[in-house]
Amino acid sequence: MIELLVQVTVSGLLIGGVYALMSIGLTMVFGVVRIINFAHGEIMMLGMYMAFWLCTAYGLDPYLAALIVAPAMFLVGVGLQRAIIQPILNAPPLMKVFATVGLYIALQNLALMLFKADYRTIETPYSTATLVIHGISISLPRLYAFLLAIVLISVFYIALKYTLVGKAMRAVAENRQVAQLMGIRVNRLYMLAFGLGAALTGVAGALILPFSYVYPTIGSIYTLVAFVVVVLGGMGNMVGAFFGGLFIGLVESFSGTYISPAVKEATYFVIFILVLLVRPQGLFGRGKGSEEVGLK
Amino acid sequence: MARKLFVLLLAICLVPAAFPVAPARAAEPLRIGALYPLSGSLALLGDESWRGAEIARQLRNKKGGVAGRQIEFVKVDIPDANAAKSETERLVSREGIKLLVGTYASSLCLTASEVAARAGVPYFEFGAISDQITARGYKTIYRTGSKAQSFAKVQVGFVKDYLAPRWKKKPSDIRLSLVHEDSAYGSSVARNCEAEAKAAGIPVVSIIPYSKDAVDLSSVILRLKSDKPDVVIAVSYANDAILLGRQAKELGLDLKAFIGTGGGHSLSSFDKALGPIAENVLNVDFTQYKVNPKFTPGLAEFVKLYKATFKEPPRSGHSLANFMGANVLFDILEKTGGSMDNDKIRPVALAMRVKQGETPTGWGVHFTEDGQNVLAEAFMMQWIKGELVTVWPSGPAVAKPSLGKPFSK
Repeated sequence: MIELLVQVTVSGLLIGGVYALMSIGLTMVFGVVRIINFAHGEIMMLGMYMAFWLCTAYGLDPYLAALIVAPAMFLVGVGLQRAIIQPILNAPPLMKVFATVGLYIALQNLALMLFKADYRTIETPYSTATLVIHGISISLPRLYAFLLAIVLISVFYIALKYTLVGKAMRAVAENRQVAQLMGIRVNRLYMLAFGLGAALTGVAGALILPFSYVYPTIGSIYTLVAFVVVVLGGMGNMVGAFFGGLFIGLVESFSGTYISPAVKEATYFVIFILVLLVRPQGLFGRGKGSEEVGLK
Repeated sequence: MARKLFVLLLAICLVPAAFPVAPARAAEPLRIGALYPLSGSLALLGDESWRGAEIARQLRNKKGGVAGRQIEFVKVDIPDANAAKSETERLVSREGIKLLVGTYASSLCLTASEVAARAGVPYFEFGAISDQITARGYKTIYRTGSKAQSFAKVQVGFVKDYLAPRWKKKPSDIRLSLVHEDSAYGSSVARNCEAEAKAAGIPVVSIIPYSKDAVDLSSVILRLKSDKPDVVIAVSYANDAILLGRQAKELGLDLKAFIGTGGGHSLSSFDKALGPIAENVLNVDFTQYKVNPKFTPGLAEFVKLYKATFKEPPRSGHSLANFMGANVLFDILEKTGGSMDNDKIRPVALAMRVKQGETPTGWGVHFTEDGQNVLAEAFMMQWIKGELVTVWPSGPAVAKPSLGKPFSK
């Protein structure tokens, strides 16, 4: 009984770590560019495919592949920002939503055309490796993803807080026009932020590849979860997203085991709605008004 | 300006008049609507299913077609129930399609065939197995493949007649858990399994539904660990089948037997993704390729054609089932003289008799009043050394079932 309880908690935290990892990029884009990026999951899907091909064609380890995926996805992100987001920055918010939804549909169908609908997985010796402590199983690749989420979040949190570029980014997030008046090159920072967002998302894709699978339509599932995590954590708040991820993971694990796996998604969406009703700015939000990110 | 516009409009109106639509001739191709999910999360097996029907069509056309006419598929993508509804409406009302085939996914078939039935257009289902499809009292729906009930019969029958005596247990001492994805397909098979198990006196200790889009299924495995079943019957699509297998291994789930229900557990990608973990996993499905060739005449020819057409071996037995189904349909159309009118099709279909062991799937043909082919039976298979081998019953079997534990290697 106690053993099951501990196992459910551990599993929940591990799922949560994965959710946090894949939400970092979205938080970045949310927090700085202030765009609701519906193509988030598709960017992750691209990162997964990139890692997949690197692994199968060159026999690279997915963790090594992540080092190549990161700069490649950075360039993809910069390109997307330049070609699609930048021209519509001053457009009404709905237009931005349409643009990213369009991007999501385009990327998904492009992937279906290029990669076909097959489910692809890579085989690594540690795909199902587990650490067993007192009868509690801990999946190793999930544990790595969990730890890397902590590392990445700490690095970016510190960078945003203390470096000049980080301060400039926060300034842009606060008020684009004023930041521009202060001599900050807003467009360049946007490109950097979107690029970093895409790079982080791509890396997340590469890191979950050992215990997951990739197919062209996988993105929409991740987009939904990432949005819940990010909104729950307070939009644009990295540390908040981490705890938001863990929270969703635990809710999923407990409701799935003790109620029914069929209702685990429903449970966290209900909690999500309740949180939005009571604290629209999210659990770790910056205060009233910050929930309007991307719509102003 | 206005004059130019007038001339332009006049020209637009006159062009079609100058090239009138060719009048219907006897040699005009038979146009059949083919509805499959070709994008979205059901795309892989939707496409695999379509390939089987397509090969049957090409083969038949090469042999001169049906009643002297070539067959043409109007291929339509129906990724979800909304698309199934609107596309079927479009085909029937605007394209003038008189016969529909499909679909692979039960939920899509239920929607599409409903629309077709209301318009009086006959619908041949080659793949979807939900019982409901032929249980709605429509006279225009025919299913060439097995229905969920026969899957459940084989699964529970195997546990009772084969496993129980070898485990030296009475059926009433066996603990059975049902794990199923929660759409029409999974729920339908699970309901049948529950009923069959009850009839066989096997206690069902838990029924665990889950969403096929879940990114993590550890809670399902943890539930199973606390319920401690001997045997699990699972109904899964592609990705969730892989996920269940991996997480069962990770969390050390200890089972005597694991029986899948076609879908994801039949895919070559299931074995590729899991490797040795998949060893000993049992699976009930439509006819697959490791099967007694004497029981399935024409199967080798089909595989050869498949490889020549699509440059890879078949990805699952779905294509084979669709190939068989399309051939049955073409045989029926041959006898109606190419008429796609349900009043002509129905008597021919109901009178058609083919014995088991005479088609590439080993199925016979005998449509009952509800449009179900009652001679289409599912077989028990097992993953042995990377191959899905037919193991039970003895007619189509090529090997004996192994009693080794699943997810243990």
